[in-house]
Parts: sequence; C-alpha cells; structure tokens
Amino acid sequence: MSELVSFIMAQHVDINTVFLLLALPFIATLIAGFRQIIGIKSFGIYSPLVLTFAFWATDLKYGVAIFLVIFTTGTIARYILKKVRLLYMPRMAIVLTLISIAVLALITIGGHFQRYGLSSTSILPILIMIVLIEKFISAQVEKGFRTAAFLSLETLSISIAGYFVLSWGAFQRFVLEYPYYVFGLLVIDFLLGKWSGLRLSEYLRFRNVIKHVDVD
Amino acid sequence: MLTLIKKSRAILGMNARNLSYIGPNNTKKAIDLANDKLRSKEVLRAAGIPVPEVYGIIRNRQELENFKWESLPKSFVLKPNRGMGGDGIKIIYGKKNDKWILSEGRTVGVEDFRSHIFNIFDGFYSLFGGEDIAFFEERIKINNSLKPYSFRGIPDIRVIVYNNVPVMAMLRLSTKESGGKANLHQGGIGVGIDIATGITTQAIQHDQITERTPDAKLKLSGIRVPYWKTILEIAIQCQKTSSLGYVGVDIAIDKEKGPVVLEINAHAGLSIQIANLAPLKYRLQKVQGLKIKNEAHAIRVAQDLFGGEIEQEIEEISGKQILGIIEDVSIRRRVDSRTEGSDESTLSKKDKANLQKERAKEYIGLRAKVDTGAGYSSIDKSLARELGYGDVIDEFDAVSKDILQRTGSQEERDTLLRDQFAKWGEGFSNVIIRSSHGVSYRLIIKMDLILSGIKINTPVTVIERSDLKFPVIIGRKSLGHFLVDPSKSLKELSKSAGS
Repeated sequence: MSELVSFIMAQHVDINTVFLLLALPFIATLIAGFRQIIGIKSFGIYSPLVLTFAFWATDLKYGVAIFLVIFTTGTIARYILKKVRLLYMPRMAIVLTLISIAVLALITIGGHFQRYGLSSTSILPILIMIVLIEKFISAQVEKGFRTAAFLSLETLSISIAGYFVLSWGAFQRFVLEYPYYVFGLLVIDFLLGKWSGLRLSEYLRFRNVIKHVDVD
Repeated sequence: MLTLIKKSRAILGMNARNLSYIGPNNTKKAIDLANDKLRSKEVLRAAGIPVPEVYGIIRNRQELENFKWESLPKSFVLKPNRGMGGDGIKIIYGKKNDKWILSEGRTVGVEDFRSHIFNIFDGFYSLFGGEDIAFFEERIKINNSLKPYSFRGIPDIRVIVYNNVPVMAMLRLSTKESGGKANLHQGGIGVGIDIATGITTQAIQHDQITERTPDAKLKLSGIRVPYWKTILEIAIQCQKTSSLGYVGVDIAIDKEKGPVVLEINAHAGLSIQIANLAPLKYRLQKVQGLKIKNEAHAIRVAQDLFGGEIEQEIEEISGKQILGIIEDVSIRRRVDSRTEGSDESTLSKKDKANLQKERAKEYIGLRAKVDTGAGYSSIDKSLARELGYGDVIDEFDAVSKDILQRTGSQEERDTLLRDQFAKWGEGFSNVIIRSSHGVSYRLIIKMDLILSGIKINTPVTVIERSDLKFPVIIGRKSLGHFLVDPSKSLKELSKSAGS
C-alpha cells in the first residue's frame, strides 16, 4: 500500500471509500474508451458509471436481477399506460409506484428463499437504478423500443465489465499501491478527447463506403 | 490493412465530426438557434428563405385554454418546438365533424390535442428534456414527382453545407415502417443524390443498401429531384443565415410553393455517406479554405468536385428541365370564379359540400401530351368548364358567333371582342383560325400550370377535344423553360408497362 493511501487511512477514511474514489476515474476512462475507440454507445457516461457502483454495492447477480426487474416493470408499465392517455408526470409516478412494488416483492421473495444478499440490499443502489430507469424509458419513447433496448443492453454490458474490473484483486491492489496512476488517466482521457479516427463500430457501419473510396 | 486505414481516413466518423467540424465551426449561439425551430424559421424568413407558415404558437397552459381551435385551417401540422428526430409531430390532413383526421386515418378531437400539447410542455419530445412549447404549421403538400416513392409523410432533401459549398445531399423517404416519417433511424429510406444533376444514385434503409421502395417496389435510382439548383441555392443561403459552419439543411418540396426549408441541423448525421457511397470527410477537406465568391460559384465548385457519378446532361448546360412526351400537369382553377354564389342556392347540401371540397383543391392534376408541333397549348372545353371558366366559354361562343355574322372590318370585330374581354378581367384574349371551313375565333385564357415541378403562367386555347385521348396539349409557347426528350416518356411508359 502506498504512503499516500496509508496517510489518508490514518485520517479515519474507510479503505473502501478510498478504493472506490480512486477506481472511479478508471471506470470513467474505461467508459470513454468504449465510446470513442470501440463505439459502444450507452446512455452517456453517468448511467454506466453509477450502475457499475450500484452493482458493486449489491453484488453483481442481485444487482442485475434488481435492474432487470426494474427494467421489465418499467417497460411493461409504459406499454400499458400508452393506451391510457395520461400527462407525463402522473404517468411517470404510476410507473415508479409499480417499480417500487415489484422491487419490494423481489427482495421479499429473495429473503424467503434465504437469499439474504438480496433482502438486505440497501436502498441507495436501488434508488440509483430507479432514477436511471426514467432515462431508459424516455429513450424507448424517443428512439423506439429496439434502439432503446439495445442501448440499455450496451449500458448493462459496460457496467458489468466495470464491475469485474472493480472486483479484480490485482486491480484493487494496483490502485491502492499506485494511487498516482490517476494522473496517467488524465493523459489518456486527454488523448481520447483528441481522437478523431473512426470507431471500430464505424469500420463495420461504413464498410461499403470504405470499399468505394479511391486512394490516390 | 494499410489501405484500409488509409481509406477509412476519408470517412467522417462521429469523433471527427464532433471534434473537427461541429466543435470549431458551430458556435453555441448558432446551435441554439438551429434547435429552436420557431426562432430559426423567423430568422430564415427574414432572410427571404421560404419556410412553412406558422398558424399559431401555444407557449403555456393559459394560451392553450384560450386557443381558438376554429382559427386553424383544415389541414396543418402540430410540432414541438425543440423536438428532435421527428418525434411528437402530428400531421392533420382534414377535418370531419369537429374531429381532425391524422395521417394514419385516425380521428382526434380537441381533448387529444390538449393532452399531446401537455406532453410537449413537459418536454416529453425535446431531446434535452426541459420545457417546450408547441406550434401549428402549414402542412407541406407533396410534390407529384416524388409522391409515389413516399409512404404517407413528406419526403425531404438533406443537404450538408460546409464553407458555403453544398458537399453532399440525400433524399429521405418515409416508409410504412417509419410511420410516415422521413427519419433514417426510424426506418426511413435515404437516397444518395448526384450533386451535379440532382439525380438519385443508390439508396439505403437501416444503413443497408436497397434497390427499391419496400412498399411500392419502385426503383430508387435515377429519380430526378425537381428544383435541384434552387434547392442547392437555398441550402447555401441557410448556412449563411444560420452562421452554422457545418450544417445539414432539410428541404421539402411543396406542390405549389416549391422548395421550403423544414429545419436546419447543427448535428447532421453520418449515414448520408452510405446513401451516397461517398466519403464525407474527403469532401469536407476538399472545400476547406476555398474562397467562395457567390452561390453560383459554390454550386459550380460542388458540381465540379463531387458531381459526375451520373453523366452530365444537357439540362446542366442549358439549365432547362427536360420533359417527355407524356407528362403530368397540374392546372390551377380560376381564382375569381364568377359562377360562385350564382347557382349555389339551387344545389343540395351534399352537392354544396362536394363543391367546397373540390374548391379546396386549387389545382386539377392530369396527364398531358407535350406537342412541339403545336404553337399554343390547348385544353378541352369541358375541362375548362371544370376549371371554372364555364360562363366565359358560353359568352365567348355567343359573342364570336355574333361577330362572325356581322359585316365590317377585321378591326371593328376585334374591338368588339376586346371590350368583351375587358369585362371578364385580365388574362383573356383570342386567336383567329383560318381553315377550309372559313374563319373562326378561339378563346385564349392565361392559366397557371405546373409541369415537372415548375410553375408557368401561359396562354391556353380552349377547344373541343373530348374525342381525344389527352384533354391537355402542351404547345411550344408554354415550353420556354423546358427541353423535350421523346425517349424519356417512352422509357417511363415501358417501365410502367413492365411492372
């Protein structure tokens, strides 16, 4: 463990907090790289980042289970409410109510089957996921179900990848050993920000155009 | 591998678009203007650029409560001001017993509109969330030549302009899948356009190359976009006016008004490259830093640099539209029809309603024969009556018959007729026909015609030709703006016969 980290911990800061705050820049850079180099879209940088940490707080399988329940309930609720014309805010309130009931049912059932990891889930990560769901649902309205579902899937994948990085022992040791690595991330972020080449996904998207380019 | 990377550098990707083109060239102020449809419309109109008319704006609940629904015309479009990607737009085609008819054929009432407008207020359709306002706008009537290709909805033309040069263009068509919207991400079709000629090259749907329209199975290449030069000019003017350095201009073609700007986009999409099978970054780099003197110069530059996928046609040299032997023509009804009111009282309620419906259609569309052997254009008498000239024809027949029986010099006879014309108002004259049957008079009326998307005001003789296949003949005097290519219509006819 580096001197810096030891110093911080000596000031009564929880090691978990130190690790998460030092890991956050890495996850953020990872998401930026996914977007700029590979071309995985996701809902901005905030959603996958927050979801990653929500998964970390709940444990992956429970986190994904809660996420899926929220997502499905939200989608079905929206689908039903589409037929009854309601104003936006009251409609969203109904959606959120149904989600709350569904999540409560899920963790109760989890507790009943001795899944205490599920039943003892703290409210914060659940709240985070509920907040995110509004974005997912409004994307369904704006971009159609297919695109929105795809975006949600991409966001979910990035968050799961982020979760595995967070729970990787070598990464945890590295971060606490070399906390100054975050300055290296700044350089990488800067370079990513200046990267004007095609994204990997765009090579695929524009493959027909590339064929037609004349190189002189 | 090396060539792949080299080739890919010619393509404009998201990263390069945002970093190298939108970032440095589009100021925050200009982007804000583009995202505000009402304000950009105002700015464009002030610059003399044609835009759809605004019928009314609803900014808040109070204005919604006080809105006079009966002030709206029968047909209009309801839009969120900051909506993006065509979301939240309602197109109303007509009115029936206090209900409005939507594009899907559904009818809606004031309550439905109210609830939709509340959603707009809540920012449901605006990309950045946030509050929004709603407005009513003129509905663009689809141009005849593009009509068959579009499933409901209005086709539009997207032109990317950079450094005052129109660098790439595509025609966007709505499909059944896209729900009558011409947006590509909703399943609309993008058709590449040769910038020099305005003729379509190939098409894409969902970023995949496609040959024909999915619904009507029409061939998508070789479509001639009408008013091409005007469209390019308007696109260039839009860039100047909006001060967006990199802009995508969406232009629709109205049946009567011609090209109208629907909106300007600060974040124009990249699929246009696939529709054209051409790299955009390459084109942008070509025009970067060029000193463009004026619009004509800009168009010449674009045509020289990026045109030529399709053979240059005579039209390019002469600037004239090419017609075939058989063409669709729209003829405008008489504006001040004297028959109005006179015999209406005798009509039943149903007939009256029908008459009104007919009148609402300002133009009559027909198939015409282009005949370079004829001097004047001519139309059949019964058609002229349908256009509202019945009384003129009757009076003219009576007067000319009377005159022919009179003795006297030609001059005297002419003055008699001229007096008669003066009574009817402007736009009437006559021609004297000498044939083996003797001398006869023929009525000439100045009419507004739309031929191949171009509006002309031309003298038309009225004759009895109900026995002929075409009720309309387009003669030399009306063909000043056109060239005639006899093979064009033959091609079209054989195509339609084949399918």
